Formats: sequence, C-alpha cells, structure tokens
Amino acid sequence: MTAQEESVAGAPDAPAVAPRRSRGANWRYLRNGKVIGGFSILVLLVALGAMHGLIADWIGDGSDPLEVGFGPRMQLPSSEHWLGTDQVGRDELALVVTGLWTSLQVGAVAGLVSTGIGIVVAFLSGYTGGWVDSLLSAITDIFLVIPTIPLLIAYSAFAKEVHLYQLGIILALFSWAAAARAIRSNVLSLRSRPYVDLARVSKLNNLEIIFRELMPNMLPYLVLGFGLSAIGAIFALVGLEVIGLGPSNVIDLGLLINSAVSSGALSLGVWPMFLAPIVAIALIFVGLSLVTLGLEEFFNPRLRRVAGE
Amino acid sequence: VSDAGDAEVILGTVAAAANPSVEKSQLRVLGPRGRVRRTLATHPTAAYVVRRFLLYLVTLWAAISATFFFFRMIPGDPIRVFLQNLQQNHLYGQSAGDEVIKEYSSQFGLDGNVFEQYWRFMQRLVLHGDFGPSLLNYPKSAQGVIASSLPWTIGLLVISTALAWMLGTVLGALAGWRRDSKVAAGITYVSLSLSHIPYYFVALIMIYLFSYKLGIFPSSYAYGVDVAPGFSFGFARSVIEHGMLPALSIVIVVAAECLLGMRQQMITVLGDDYLMLAQAKGLHPYRILRRYAMPNCYLPQVTRLVISLGVVFGGNVLVEQVFTYPGIGHLLVQASQQLDLNVMMGVTDLGVFTVLTATFVMDLVLPLLDPRIAYTRRSVAG
Repeated sequence: MTAQEESVAGAPDAPAVAPRRSRGANWRYLRNGKVIGGFSILVLLVALGAMHGLIADWIGDGSDPLEVGFGPRMQLPSSEHWLGTDQVGRDELALVVTGLWTSLQVGAVAGLVSTGIGIVVAFLSGYTGGWVDSLLSAITDIFLVIPTIPLLIAYSAFAKEVHLYQLGIILALFSWAAAARAIRSNVLSLRSRPYVDLARVSKLNNLEIIFRELMPNMLPYLVLGFGLSAIGAIFALVGLEVIGLGPSNVIDLGLLINSAVSSGALSLGVWPMFLAPIVAIALIFVGLSLVTLGLEEFFNPRLRRVAGE
Repeated sequence: VSDAGDAEVILGTVAAAANPSVEKSQLRVLGPRGRVRRTLATHPTAAYVVRRFLLYLVTLWAAISATFFFFRMIPGDPIRVFLQNLQQNHLYGQSAGDEVIKEYSSQFGLDGNVFEQYWRFMQRLVLHGDFGPSLLNYPKSAQGVIASSLPWTIGLLVISTALAWMLGTVLGALAGWRRDSKVAAGITYVSLSLSHIPYYFVALIMIYLFSYKLGIFPSSYAYGVDVAPGFSFGFARSVIEHGMLPALSIVIVVAAECLLGMRQQMITVLGDDYLMLAQAKGLHPYRILRRYAMPNCYLPQVTRLVISLGVVFGGNVLVEQVFTYPGIGHLLVQASQQLDLNVMMGVTDLGVFTVLTATFVMDLVLPLLDPRIAYTRRSVAG
C-alpha cells in the first residue's frame, strides 16, 4: 500500500496502473483494503440471507416463526427470541433475515438488469461510433432526465399485486442511463489503446476484441456500476415501502421499517423492531459503498489522498 | 454545379472557420448556398444555439411521450375505480350509466386506443398548455391543482437547495484548503457517509429526534391548524416551524454532496501555478482562498447542482410524503392512489421540464461565463 501511495504522490496524474500485459484482467484493485472489507461484509450478508430458511426452521422448531401469533407480541430480546417479536408476534430475527434476502435479491436483479442494459448500450455506442453512437447517446440522455421515483410511485400505488422484483426491473429499465454513459466514456478511451489496435491487426473480430480485450480491463468498472445501481435500487424500493406505497405481499427490510413506524414501536420502546432492519440496510449500504469507493479510488488515484488516508 | 465549385465552397467554409479575418464579402461568395445555411456557417454560435434548442425540444418531446406511455401501461380504469368508490361510500344501490362513463372518459382523454389518446393529449398540451381535468379535484384542471401546491414545493426546495449549496461550497472550500487537518478529514468522512443516505432516512431520524423526543418542531403539514393562512406573524412563524424539518433533511444530504464536490475541485485547483504566484506576492492566505482559488470552482459546482436536480426532485417527493407536506410530491402520491393520470403526468412532466430547461440554459450560459468552455464559440472569437 505504501509503495502504491508513494508512486501516486510522485506523479499524481500518472495512470493508475503500471504498464501491463496486453491481455487478461488486472486484479490489483482487489488489494485495496476498502474493497476487501466491503466484499467480506457483503459475503457475510448474502450467506446470512441465503440461510434464512434454515434459521427460520431453527427458530421455529417445527412451527413457522413468520406465522402471525408465533409468540407473544412486541417482546424485547430474550433467550427465546433473540431480537424480540413484532406487533403480531412474529420472530424479529427470522423476519430480518428473510427481509434481508429479499432486499439483496431485488438489489441484485435491478443492478444486473440496469448494468446489463448499460453495458450493451455503451459498447454498441462507444465501439461502433457514427450515427449509432449519436442515436444511442440521445436516447441515453432522455432516460437520464426521466425521474424514476414518480414512475415507481405511480406504478406501485395502483398495481398493488405487483411483485417487488417487477418493481426492481421497472426501476432498472429507467435507471440504466447513468451506467451507460459512464461505461461509454471508458470504452471510448480504451478503444484507442495500442493493445486494441494490436488485436485488430491480428484479425480478432469485434466480439472477440470486446469480450477478450475490453471487458476484462473494464471488469472493476462494471462492478462499480453494478454496485451503484444496486444501492440505488435498494434505497428507492425501501423508500417506497417506508412511506407505505410498496407492495405488501413480500417481506423485505423496507416493509419491516414501515411496520415498525406504523405500529408505534418507537414510542412503545420496542427498539429491535426499528433498529434491526435499519442496521441490516446500513450494513448492505456500508458493504456496497466500501466496494464502490475502493474501486473509484482505483480508477481515480487522486481520490486516494482525498479520502484522507 | 461542377465538382470544382463544390470544392471551392467547402474550402470557403473551412477558411471561414479557421480564419475569422476572411472578409464577409468573400464569405458571401464562397459560403454555402441558401440563406439559412450561409447564416449558420458564418455564425457558429447561432448554429450551436439552434442545434442545442432543437435537441432540447426533441428530448423534451421524447421524455414526455415515454412517461405518457408508461402511465397508460398501468392496469386499471380510473373512471370505473372512481365510480366504484363513490358507489361504495356515498350512493348505495345507484350505478352510473354507460353514457356517464363515456362522457367522463372523453373528458379525461381516456377514450379510443392509446395512440388516439396520445395524439389528443399532445394536442391539448401543446396548443392549449392543458393537461386535462383532475380526477381528485374535478372539475379543476390538473395544472390548476398543481399550481396551487407548487408554491410549497418551490419554497421548500429553492430555499433548502440554495442554503445547502452555499453551506456545502463554503465548507468544501475550507475542507479542501486545510485538507491535512484532522477537522477537515472528519468533516469529509461525515459528509461521505451522509451523501449516500437517502433523504427519507434523514427525515425519519429528524422526526424521531426533534418531533417525538424533543418536541421542538412539528412533524407534519406546512402550517398549524390554529393559524389562518395570510400575511400575519403567526402564520409566518408556523410555516417556518413546519418547514424546518423537511428543509433540514434536504439540506443535510445536498450540502454533504456539494461539500465533497467542492473539496475535490479545490484540491485540483490548489496545485496550480497562479496560486503559487499569489502566495509569492505575499497575499493573505484567505484572500487567496476567496479571490483566487474559490471563483474557479463555482462553475463546476453549479453544473453539478443542475445535473443533480432530477435526483433532488425525486428525493423531495419522498420527503414531502414523510412529512405530509402539501407540495407537488405529496400531490403526486395522492394522485397515484386515485390513478389521477392527468395530475400524475403534470407533476412528472414538470420535473422533466425543469431539469431539461436548467440543463439547456446552463449549456448556453456556461461558455459565456467561462472562456475555457468553448463549444463552437472559439472559431468566432479567434
């Protein structure tokens, strides 16, 4: 880390990566402490979420802890209910773990769809150039200004039976533009690098160049885009649910916060109902932000000093 | 016309662009044919403005059309839902005839297929500036309903965004200026985490702290039930008290974002030679900061603000809903629950229009303010 910093301090405008092999990915970004920390938090959360079925079985011990009236209502943490129970007697730990899994899935789906659209549009536009580029850039600009939150509110308020995933996909359909724009500018700069010329001279076709030369070098950038879209999607949907507009057929973290607010858990002093889902969301946020911050530092060496290190 | 003539024409244009000292009379001979094209070729700025304006119009049209079709994709028939509500709540045993439904459908622009609806909607909007009647407040028009709640949103958003921008810019400049101090690092880390928090979380925390726990500020609506709207001291005080928490939740997040941007700008500027010169002249450090370093960071800050207007607008909707503040964000949520399509279109299009117009104006004004940003102006100015 110190060697890296010194080289940056010596030549602040030098490219982040030293001269490298012409082919294959550069994995140096994985050495960043923030990326490692954020990634471990995310892995932990995903593992916890993936085991929500097991945890529920273990807590329920035969009966379903998500069933109304599983235990006494609005309990504080005890040896029986580690995080207490909610206003209808469901076990809070089981609820949070289940909600965590849903929120993670929604974020992943929305992030994947929006990054996917972004990648396709960006590569088509940046690599092809010409009128395709002009057209796609214009379309990107249009989608950049359409405000997504009003659309989501409108859709979810009326279509009560929609699933959270559908909302995630709708969100992604309207929020890929920022990713597309950022990736496109990166494609434009990579396209004119010597190793791409070399690949072209050695008669690789365009798809091969895109997938074997450009993609691996942009991988951290794509992960960055994915992280930002996932954060955006999770927060937008949680926001909808917190103000009581989201679909109520799936348990996710936003719905839990909403039920804590609307059942008056705060004034009754049942803090786990409020705190547990917020901590879970905060952890998702911290994990994803650490990864994206670390990757941003990798791309923009100036930030390394800016972040106060 | 021969090939040689064409080549000459092209050469003329190139010469005009490259060398402004080519005389006007010469240009008239060599320039492209047709009055419009010739004017555009000799006035690159005008050409840029025209092109940018056309792009603005096309983008506006496309964004409005996209939202229109999205809203029409929402399942459900607003008129029937409305009538059902009426029947269940007020008029037991009575039902509306088909003619009534037909009449209202045509008034609300809901008859015919989607493309006919679209055509009539655009006609009404472009020719008369009319979004059609509002379902919530029939027979008031949608734009009338929006206009009556717009002042609250403008007041809230303009004041809090301006405040946040100034706060963030000044603090960001200081944090960049003294970037090695512990305080600056602390401020940066705090705003780094604040800038990622959604507005509604801040809003909820505000309500919990200041409303429930401390009881300083009220948690909902724009003014108290005990005061009558008017130009009185009591009303003004009530409005300020009620606006405090929603404004704070916007200020905190936007200020944090501005601070980070300004800090970044400052740090890039700080290495520049002209600051070294100012230091060598023995100027007071704060004079250097205020008169030399900061002015160069203002424009990127304005650009950043304009670009984030759309996000601010979306976040404002949620904040207003959390505080039941009677602005257009709250109106939008109410309209969505009733499927009041015209009001929904109106609010969304207002957001699109604001963002696009701000970007358009910024694109025109920035080259005038900052000579380093020159689109096609440079060829004129030499």
